[in-house]
Amino acid sequence: MGSALSISRLTFSYPDHPNVLQGIDLQVMLGERVGLIGPNGAGKTTLFLLACGVLKPKAGRISLFGEPVQPGDFHPEIGMVFQHPDDQLFCPSVWDDVAFGPQNLGLSKAEVASRVETALSLTGALELASRPPHHLSGGEKRMVSIAGVLAMCPRLIIYDEPSANLDIRSRRRLISFLQTSKETILIASHDLELVLEVCDRVILLDEGRVVADGEPREKMGDVELMEAHGLERPHSLAYHAEPHHGYSGKVVNV
Amino acid sequence: MHIPDGILPITISAAGYATSGAATWYSLRKIGQKEDAQASIPKASLLTAVFFVASWIHIPVPPTSVHLVLNGLLGAVLGYYAFPAILIGLFFQAVMFQHGGLTTLGVNATMMGVPALLAFFVFRLRRVVGKDRRWGVGVFGFLAGATGLGVAALIAWGLLVATIPAHLDAEAERASIYALTLAHMPLIVLEGIFTALVALFLHRVKPELLKD
Amino acid sequence: MIDGLDRYACLDSSLHRWDPRCKFVGLIALMFAFSFVQDLRLLPAMLAVTSGLYAASRMPLAFLLTRLRTPAVFVVVVATLLPFISGTTVIARIGPLILRQEGTVAMALIVVKFISILTISLVLFGTAPFLTTIKALQALGLPPILGDMTLLAYRYLYEIGNDLETMERAMGLRGFRARRFSSHTLDVLASLAGTMLVRSYEQSERVYKAMTLRGYGHSPRPRAQFHRMVCIRAHFRDWAGLAGVFLVAASFVAMEIWLRGLGG
Repeated sequence: MGSALSISRLTFSYPDHPNVLQGIDLQVMLGERVGLIGPNGAGKTTLFLLACGVLKPKAGRISLFGEPVQPGDFHPEIGMVFQHPDDQLFCPSVWDDVAFGPQNLGLSKAEVASRVETALSLTGALELASRPPHHLSGGEKRMVSIAGVLAMCPRLIIYDEPSANLDIRSRRRLISFLQTSKETILIASHDLELVLEVCDRVILLDEGRVVADGEPREKMGDVELMEAHGLERPHSLAYHAEPHHGYSGKVVNV
Repeated sequence: MHIPDGILPITISAAGYATSGAATWYSLRKIGQKEDAQASIPKASLLTAVFFVASWIHIPVPPTSVHLVLNGLLGAVLGYYAFPAILIGLFFQAVMFQHGGLTTLGVNATMMGVPALLAFFVFRLRRVVGKDRRWGVGVFGFLAGATGLGVAALIAWGLLVATIPAHLDAEAERASIYALTLAHMPLIVLEGIFTALVALFLHRVKPELLKD
Repeated sequence: MIDGLDRYACLDSSLHRWDPRCKFVGLIALMFAFSFVQDLRLLPAMLAVTSGLYAASRMPLAFLLTRLRTPAVFVVVVATLLPFISGTTVIARIGPLILRQEGTVAMALIVVKFISILTISLVLFGTAPFLTTIKALQALGLPPILGDMTLLAYRYLYEIGNDLETMERAMGLRGFRARRFSSHTLDVLASLAGTMLVRSYEQSERVYKAMTLRGYGHSPRPRAQFHRMVCIRAHFRDWAGLAGVFLVAASFVAMEIWLRGLGG
């Protein structure tokens, strides 16, 4: 199994916020589904922006699929789904927005159309193609923003708080989608139950450092560890006199 | 202040498009010379939308309320992007709200956009007293706002005087134009004050918005 | 709010099917031709052409009337004042008011031209999605910066408009009433405007990051950056329509010049 993302001794500071990341070491292998948890301000979004080459590290090395990441370059093999879909859906129609990435890849019109249709079908948003983004609901915006990233056929996809502001039905649709996606994925989320249902590995980040890295049920079930870093143990991992959570955390009928 | 379709003779409409074209060309050239021109496009675009929306804010001026034009503030914040921003804003207003006109788009853009560029230059002058001085931001903000509306009113006045239909009573027409222009004086002061207040707010909260 | 414009863009009529580039050029030429008219005798023809085009668009009359409602204020003012204050030739006396010929003629010209040009512009922008019309402009040579700015501004107009509404509502719920003209009121409203500017500025930085992550600025074909027109070939009937409209526009101009020459 090859390496998808390799980060070594990564350090980063903002002008008004020093030591946002302090010597991060991280390896994500191909095919892994990694959850990134931690309190606000832990550095999750910053880490993502560095991995994509949007920000330039103060120190350390980042490689994507074996190649070093050059800040400022275009890296279509990594895609990022932003926390707020409105920041990402900047074209006046859904079709145009999903086509944006493939067009910048220099693909022919036919290929662009094919990519757009595939991406919209995968995310169940095909009938929204001609609609403007501001006519979409929160859940629809979320799936369209994912389609926009999928259309570039990235090998690694980063999701920044994907279930924020979604209603129950949209959240369930998102979880089902993530469970069946074929790419290597890295998800930052406060929605700990989502991480339990989707990810096979969890990394706990706090104050710019990796504090824990391992099997989700084991790490997130450690009450002391979670509470020491501003989190809580997910409900489904709590001891229940009458067990009613399935292995994946979802409530099952008793 | 927007001139609607149907009143101006076609020579003036055409001249308006010519001057707008020139001003657009000038602005785009200046924008192209900046090194991060591409990064500024989303900024300028979203701020264009904000200015469009912000002009809907009612300022109570008893017995009624007014909407400010804010072209001076737009010039101070957007710099050379101010002219394209005003052109686009006026286009939206004409098409979406039937406010202003399409044949008169060039005239209206010149009338509001050129003063916006002048306001930008006026605001830039604050470096004479030190760019980061609060009182400099306030004073030159006021001047920029007043310039924006004041020069626009002057251009409107000039246009109206130049296009008086021949059989209109010239004296009465001229008198009413003078009266209208005088009535704008307090509005010019109001624009200046409001521009200064917003500039001071930005200076405190997000000074890079005022960076040239 | 802004939505209404596109409402009938999904209808089917010859105008809806007309190539948007030809439509834009043709109808703009017609608007300018109308603007050129100064002779009263051409007004009935102008109204006929305008109503013909609107009828051909199959958009409901109610739509036109709603759209004309706001600018109608201007029309009413002109219609009421001009005939009584402008001109020297007296047509009639109504009590103390004197109806003058020049003023009445000027009023008729302004009102009819205004309504005609507005109606044509509604036909132009109401028979296709706004986005399609902007792409047509880009295809016709609109500078890329203007095209990008127009589309981005249009996209975020709604959100920003909603934000303003939400903030005003929140201010109201905390007791703020913008009724008195005072320094406090001005301060609060300036902060409102300033906050909107700052929020959009910060959002634009995130939008720019999202754009670069999907290749903005890295396109192998530098001109093909943002929103390229999906290639539609103009058919013969599109060109024929354009020629037809040009002919009508040219006729108005020619008639106007001829009538002026006659000293009409």
